[in-house]
Amino acid sequence: MSGSSPDSDGTQHEDALLDVRDVSKSVSGPEGRLDILSGVSLQVRAGESFAIVGASGSGKTTLLGLLAGLDTPSGGSVRLGGHALESLDEEARADLRRRLVGFVFQSFHLLPALTAEENVMLPLELEGSNDARTRARAALASVGLGARQRHYPAQLSGGEQQRVAIARAFVHGPRLLFADEPTGNLDQRTGHHVSDLLFALNRDHHTTLVLVTHDSRLAERCHRRVELQEGRLLASVA
Amino acid sequence: MRLWQLALRNLRREWHLPELRTLGASLVLAVTALGVVATLSTRIEHGVLASAAELIGGDVGVASPQNLPAEFTEQATTHGLSASRSAGFPSVAFAHGQSQLLDVLAADSAYPLRGTLELLDAQGHSRIGHAPPPGQVYLDHRALVALNLKVGQPLQLGGRPLTIAAELVREPDGGELFALAPRALMSLTDAEQAGLLGVGSRARHRLLLAGEPAGVRGWRTWAQGAKLPQGAELITPEQTQERMRAAFDRAGAFLRLTALLSALLSGVAIALAARRYARRKTQEVALLRALGTSRRRVLGLLAGTLAALALPAAALGTVLALALAQAAWVLASSLFAGVPTELPLAPAFAAAAMGLAVLAGFALPPLAMLAEVPPVAVFRASLARRVRRFDLLYLLPALVAVLLIWSQSGSARMAVMLAACLTLVAAAAATLSALLLWLARRVAPGAHPALRLGLAALARRRGMSLVQATALSLGLVALLLLAVVAPALLEGWRRELPADTPNWFALNLQTDQRADFEQALARLGAGKLNMLPLAVGKLAAINGTPVDQLHLQDQRAQETADRQLRLSWADALPESNQIVAGRWPGEHPAQAEASIDTSWRDLFHLKLGDTLRFEVGEGTLDAKVTSIRRVDWSSFRVNFFLLVDPAHASELPHTWLTSFYLPRGHAEQLAQLSRDYPNLSLIDVDALLDRVREIVDRIGNAVRWVLGFSLLAGALVLAAALAASAQERRHEAALLRTLGARRGQLAAAAACEFALLGLVAGLTAAVGAAGTGIWLGRAVFRIEGFVPPLWPLVLAAGGAALAVMLLGLAGTRRIVRTPPMRLLREG
Ligand SMILES: Nc1ncnc2c1ncn2[C@@H]1O[C@H](COP(=O)(O)OP(=O)(O)OP(=O)(O)O)[C@@H](O)[C@H]1O
Ligand SMILES: [Mg+2]
Repeated sequence: MSGSSPDSDGTQHEDALLDVRDVSKSVSGPEGRLDILSGVSLQVRAGESFAIVGASGSGKTTLLGLLAGLDTPSGGSVRLGGHALESLDEEARADLRRRLVGFVFQSFHLLPALTAEENVMLPLELEGSNDARTRARAALASVGLGARQRHYPAQLSGGEQQRVAIARAFVHGPRLLFADEPTGNLDQRTGHHVSDLLFALNRDHHTTLVLVTHDSRLAERCHRRVELQEGRLLASVA
Repeated sequence: MRLWQLALRNLRREWHLPELRTLGASLVLAVTALGVVATLSTRIEHGVLASAAELIGGDVGVASPQNLPAEFTEQATTHGLSASRSAGFPSVAFAHGQSQLLDVLAADSAYPLRGTLELLDAQGHSRIGHAPPPGQVYLDHRALVALNLKVGQPLQLGGRPLTIAAELVREPDGGELFALAPRALMSLTDAEQAGLLGVGSRARHRLLLAGEPAGVRGWRTWAQGAKLPQGAELITPEQTQERMRAAFDRAGAFLRLTALLSALLSGVAIALAARRYARRKTQEVALLRALGTSRRRVLGLLAGTLAALALPAAALGTVLALALAQAAWVLASSLFAGVPTELPLAPAFAAAAMGLAVLAGFALPPLAMLAEVPPVAVFRASLARRVRRFDLLYLLPALVAVLLIWSQSGSARMAVMLAACLTLVAAAAATLSALLLWLARRVAPGAHPALRLGLAALARRRGMSLVQATALSLGLVALLLLAVVAPALLEGWRRELPADTPNWFALNLQTDQRADFEQALARLGAGKLNMLPLAVGKLAAINGTPVDQLHLQDQRAQETADRQLRLSWADALPESNQIVAGRWPGEHPAQAEASIDTSWRDLFHLKLGDTLRFEVGEGTLDAKVTSIRRVDWSSFRVNFFLLVDPAHASELPHTWLTSFYLPRGHAEQLAQLSRDYPNLSLIDVDALLDRVREIVDRIGNAVRWVLGFSLLAGALVLAAALAASAQERRHEAALLRTLGARRGQLAAAAACEFALLGLVAGLTAAVGAAGTGIWLGRAVFRIEGFVPPLWPLVLAAGGAALAVMLLGLAGTRRIVRTPPMRLLREG
């Protein structure tokens, strides 16, 4: 994977993998315009672990969607790996996601019709990788599920499903991993195990971690934390 | 809250679910398709029967050896029917010192009430007319030739001088092969005044009636209850000649088959939608169960919701069916010009009932299993997956299908064969699909990324792929059967009437004339000569009980028993006959032996060993039934319900029935022949064959109309079936988009997937349709050596594959655009 060569416009964060400037998001609903996010700016450096905390409904998921290029902001700019997302179309953003990004969701989002192994193979297949199966097995083994390759999601516990999802998230070696409440559906111990896996990735592979969580203990394990309140960034905690 | 209120509320809440809408739409469609087809079929059958009325010259009638009592005509007036009286008798015509025995019909000016009387005037202009006024007569071509006369010349008939006003080309003659002879049509008034119809004459009187169906039915009911005069019998379109009946039966079978396939197609769509609904509801049901709802109540709620959906859907389908059938009939009615028929309501209601049965049969298994979801499934979906003891429930749709096939085919044999064919096609489709999917897995690693993704997707959605491929194959088989095989069957059926079918019959040949006659025919160049002995008699008793004490329930049996019947005999079993029970009579049996046709067995409930007494001339013959034959009545050979053993039968007074083939254009020579053998009646079958062909054509056109509707229904149901996997695909697309898949990748993968699916389904369907077609053609429609056109089948299958691919792509277009953000929101 090539190093980043940010062509940032003279800011202090030359090595920011994720650079968010004055982002806002509003939607028009039945009761008129609704501002979900406003004036959010933040930078995430490569190899960092970064937590976004905040009350329910404060706009965390919305922000994550913008950071990952799943959605476009109403105002401001998001640069991911040096690319201005707002100047890219849906297709180019998809390309970028495939190359740079991995995802872990609160409710796992494994495809029920596929086995654990086949779920993990998906990102590799999108790349056109030739050794997808071998690599998927290795990834599963590294999250401790080497013996469950052939099992379907419905046959796995929540914690096991989330571990499969983590294997799927890093199997193609992304530089950035987004996780939306990765432990939200798990008990404390299992959650701990899952977050250990995430931080191990961050430590051993320098995979940048962007976490959205309610769990203050999880947030505290991150290098940096920001808190959202009603769509605004409160404070940045080192 | 009452269950039905709950169910209604549940339906209102869930109405936005695509599965429920699909379920409702499928049912509407099923009922509409079934209803349109059934209504149109019934109506066309009525139309065909009514056009059979054209053959007898009226909708219904009575034939009697005496003049009919006036009340028959009075009743007709009461029922609003128009009436026509006529009488048929043999009479000798004289002209220029020549004489010829003619089969004369004397009719009033109303004749014919139905059908057309086609005439040719002296200038050779054709016109449609009615029976001639007094003083005039129409002769047919053979009569003109035999008497060496032309239109405009005079002749003597029944002692009266008459002018030949026109040549008789065609008349509604009853389609009764053996009644035809050189013919004359004269005025009833003339015949009465000439005393040709008085007591002691050999005239057969006919009263023909026509009018609105209700009136005709009313009169028939009355006439059946009334005491018919001695020797009188009803003339109905149904009892037209056996060959016509065979043609109607086949048309009927065809139409029912068409309806059946539409119904099964809908069943497939309903099953897919129900499965999807059950899947979606699993969590909710688990929750309900966990909250303490009993299994019975859950089932009741599900059934109630289904019923709340089904009843309006069925009602809508019924209304649509009736409206469409009416519209189609108005458009197609030129086929049956001038034949009044009512819009039948019963078939549409029956279709609604059948649609509900299909819904119940195909939707119940997944829903019943849903009620079995244990409360603990709230915690883990996998626990809801499988309840083994409910696997048997999946026999229910099969059972419904078989019952449906049975009710539509009317014969258990055909039902079993059809069901076997469909099962075979399903199994073949499943096997072939499995094979191709396995192949896909092998090929996948080395393929182009997009192709690999598509192949992988297909290979992994294995169960669903199999279900879809199989459902699509079945649907395509139905479509191909309707679109390709059916027209070929019709064509084959029409062609089946071969060019060198015997086209002449000679009746009344005496035994001592046989050798000379045969030589005379050979000189003319006639071929395919065949002579059969013919004795005319009546059935007198069965197992010693006189026929009039048998109290026959079946009206057809009664009519058959009342009619004159023809006996024949032969040393060997005639062609196109097949012994189904017993054995063919030996050389010199001690007691007379009879061989009966299967329809006689069924009509009189006969079995081997029963004895039949026949009255032939002055004597009687007691014969034991020793064999039962299946006769192919459509073969255009001379066939008999009754054959007796030659040793005993040759004693009976009999004449010979001769059939031969003579190319058209030999009428003059034949006329000479008929002068040499004045006792002989020569019958031109070509004219009759033309009529049969015409009727077959007419049925063919009508059937194509019905086919159009089934095709439409089939295509719509196919689309519904394809939509079944949309939900799953949408989620998958959102996930793949999030993981960075390009739209092109998703589209290419989907294209590969559906093309492969279409290819599997198309290939299997082509093979299945060809096989089913061959079986249908040979076993059911009895067309020898029938092979459906293979290239059109292959092309159609390819086209179908393409259509499936395009349909699939069109269906995934929206899915490919699914915003990836959806995934984050769908917790
Ligand atoms: N498409 C939309 N239309 C209307 N409102 C929206 C939309 N998307 C998000 N919202 C609103 O924006 C707010 C923020 O939503 P978001 O899902 O980002 O919160 P969150 O911080 O992730 O909450 P939670 O911790 O509960 O997941 C909520 O009030 C939500 O209702
Ligand atoms: Mg959220």
